[in-house]
Amino acid sequence: MELIREFTEEYSDYLHDESRTMGHAESIAFPKNEQELVEIVRYCATHKTPVNVQGGLTGLAGGASPQGGLALNLSRMNKILGMRYDEAANRFFVRVQPGVLLSQLRKALENKAFDIQGWSQDSIDALSRIKAGQLFFSPDPTEPTASIGGMAACNASGARSFLYGATRRHVQALRVVLADGSLSELRRGTHRAVGRDIVLPLEGGGERRLRMPDFATPAVKDAGYYFHDDMDTVDLFMGSQGTLAIISELELALIDAPKLMWGATAFMPSDEAALTYVRLLRGEKLPGLPVFEHKPASLEFFNKHALTMILKQKEITPAFAQLQELPADYCSAVYVEFNDADSESFAPVLRELRNVVEAVGGDPDKTWVAKGTRELEKLLFFRHTVPETIDLIVEQNKKNEPCITLLSTDMAVSDQYMEKLFAIYRGDLEQTDLHWVIFGHVGENHFHPNILARTKDEYEQGHRIFEKWAKDVHDMNGSISAEHGAGKIKTRLARIMYGEENLQKIKEFKRQLDPDFILGPGNILS
Amino acid sequence: MKIIVCVKQVPATNEVRMDPVTNTIIREGVESILNPFDAFAMEEALRLRERHGGCEIITISMGIPSVRGILQETIALGADQAFLLSDRAFAGADTLATAHALAAGINKLGAADLYICGKMATDGDTAQVGPMLAEMLGVAHATDIAEIEQVSDSELLCRKLTDDGYVRIRVQLPAVITVSKEINVPRLPSISGVLRGLAADIPVFTADDVAVDKAQIGLSGSPTQVIKTFVPDLTQHIEWIEGKPAEQAAELLEKLVARRAIIR
Repeated sequence: MELIREFTEEYSDYLHDESRTMGHAESIAFPKNEQELVEIVRYCATHKTPVNVQGGLTGLAGGASPQGGLALNLSRMNKILGMRYDEAANRFFVRVQPGVLLSQLRKALENKAFDIQGWSQDSIDALSRIKAGQLFFSPDPTEPTASIGGMAACNASGARSFLYGATRRHVQALRVVLADGSLSELRRGTHRAVGRDIVLPLEGGGERRLRMPDFATPAVKDAGYYFHDDMDTVDLFMGSQGTLAIISELELALIDAPKLMWGATAFMPSDEAALTYVRLLRGEKLPGLPVFEHKPASLEFFNKHALTMILKQKEITPAFAQLQELPADYCSAVYVEFNDADSESFAPVLRELRNVVEAVGGDPDKTWVAKGTRELEKLLFFRHTVPETIDLIVEQNKKNEPCITLLSTDMAVSDQYMEKLFAIYRGDLEQTDLHWVIFGHVGENHFHPNILARTKDEYEQGHRIFEKWAKDVHDMNGSISAEHGAGKIKTRLARIMYGEENLQKIKEFKRQLDPDFILGPGNILS
Repeated sequence: MKIIVCVKQVPATNEVRMDPVTNTIIREGVESILNPFDAFAMEEALRLRERHGGCEIITISMGIPSVRGILQETIALGADQAFLLSDRAFAGADTLATAHALAAGINKLGAADLYICGKMATDGDTAQVGPMLAEMLGVAHATDIAEIEQVSDSELLCRKLTDDGYVRIRVQLPAVITVSKEINVPRLPSISGVLRGLAADIPVFTADDVAVDKAQIGLSGSPTQVIKTFVPDLTQHIEWIEGKPAEQAAELLEKLVARRAIIR
């Protein structure tokens, strides 16, 4: 088949994502549109060829690393197809192919610069109603070159999902290609499950009836499967990581861009003070401490090891030279960001913030403030250097020991367990000689402990620690992957979270959609 | 030591849009910021205070009333006082008229030991105001300073960038220096600083307040005038060559020959 090429050495970059999980494939395809995608999937269905979907290859769990068969790379399905204005709701929606990059969409919205070739008149009319920078797609995984399809496939979230929610909430409609090549279009609010029963309407007539497993997936932030009574059918495919169908088109809900974005990074005398600060900024009322009522867009935590790590890297990596020097005495840092509809609230909220920083033992003289997107870039750059540095170190360590991959977790628990989860992470890691850092989305009780393994032994030790944590998190009814997805790296953790019985139920469910198990081999279910 | 830092408000982009009729900058919808090079100047003043101790830092700018916000930012960063020169008579100034206005403002405030400017403003790229100011104040100057190695009450030992490298020079104070981006990493303001800046009173001086000769400022004091400003066209065209590798190579060869990029 002409659309499918033999997998030769020139494609070796398509064997892994940013987790450095190396895969293997016999063939590769780069469809440019839905029709080509359907043809390819039909061919694979006939030949029972495994289909490994890829987007921006920025994943952190190996979801896009192929496990034999076809690497189905959607990076050339990268067109923004149109825009829709819903007058009743006064909302705008944008329709994209799955290979559109987040940065591409952001830039188009920011500059109102869309390639409108092939757009319908309705789309062009909708576009004429907006101004550059007026609208905003809020999901913000740290890596802006993530593809929209990939973000939907693992229900990605990021720092700002604290305020805006994960990708799921912003996907209004989907078109999906099923394992036999048939197409289904699903719209939030229109296509809903009845109890556990789902009907997928098929393009060209017909339908597919499915029954969801009878257990409910985690109630906390979770990047995996989503099974709930009466849910929107769209949500079935969000977080399923290419194991149930392939997303061929998405309609995304846009919101008004904030008028003023600002943030502050505070340095805290202890991890405990940092977590109390987080609780106060979440609006919780704690005895004897000031009340803070302005909802942040994001709350990010960095432990001392994470900050020390980037300062060390600053000496080696020229790109990090613009990082500001850190204050001398601190234990950890917390970044808080606000997305405001006007600039009036800035001064009063800053005064409240000063009181909270002081109350938990921070120093307002040493708390950095960035007002406006340009200044904020400096704080975000600071935030971004943490995972970037980890990437550089993992890449380096891998040269000495090829089995090493990124060892990062993204488990999440409900608010009540935040301190408990942190204490487990820190306690377990302090007992080892490993190189480790903790940072992440503390607003949603979701840290990223990272173990930077230097040897095979350390790498295996890291995995054992993660499995212990998965059990701990399971006991707290949490999620083993709040935002990256289980991919291939965390299948053992997924097994702990779902349990053997529920895992079987998911497989039975998958069989209804994909009887030969050709879609997303190795992802989540292993 | 008394340090005066001269700052300017500039548009937050270097892709300035010009009004084709009036040849003036379209400011609508473009955020205004502290000239990035002036941020290095401000940071260096703060660092000198931390190193040398006992420094008073004053910032000064010439511009429209909204420049007050930029001066408040310098207070937020740690300046002790900030002053704005704002008057219709200052409008339309070129670099010479700007330097006259700043010199008059500085004379009003009283001489300093050290004057720090950014090497240039990102909206004009002239790099002239600093040296002109030094001439008018009758003090020494050094441009493109990338490091202040030593500081005393009477002189600085500086590293000055040149096209091919750097030279180390001693500068007798009082002096004007202009700084390049290599000199430091500007800090962000603190919460306390920002609140101090928001509450700060920024005195505004008119041309009369600083007793400057009106023939030397504004449009009438400007020997140079901008006739036309435009954004250079940087459009690049990309042509995709489709086909099998051999066909692509053959077509590319044809195109390069046709453009005389290579000779067959």
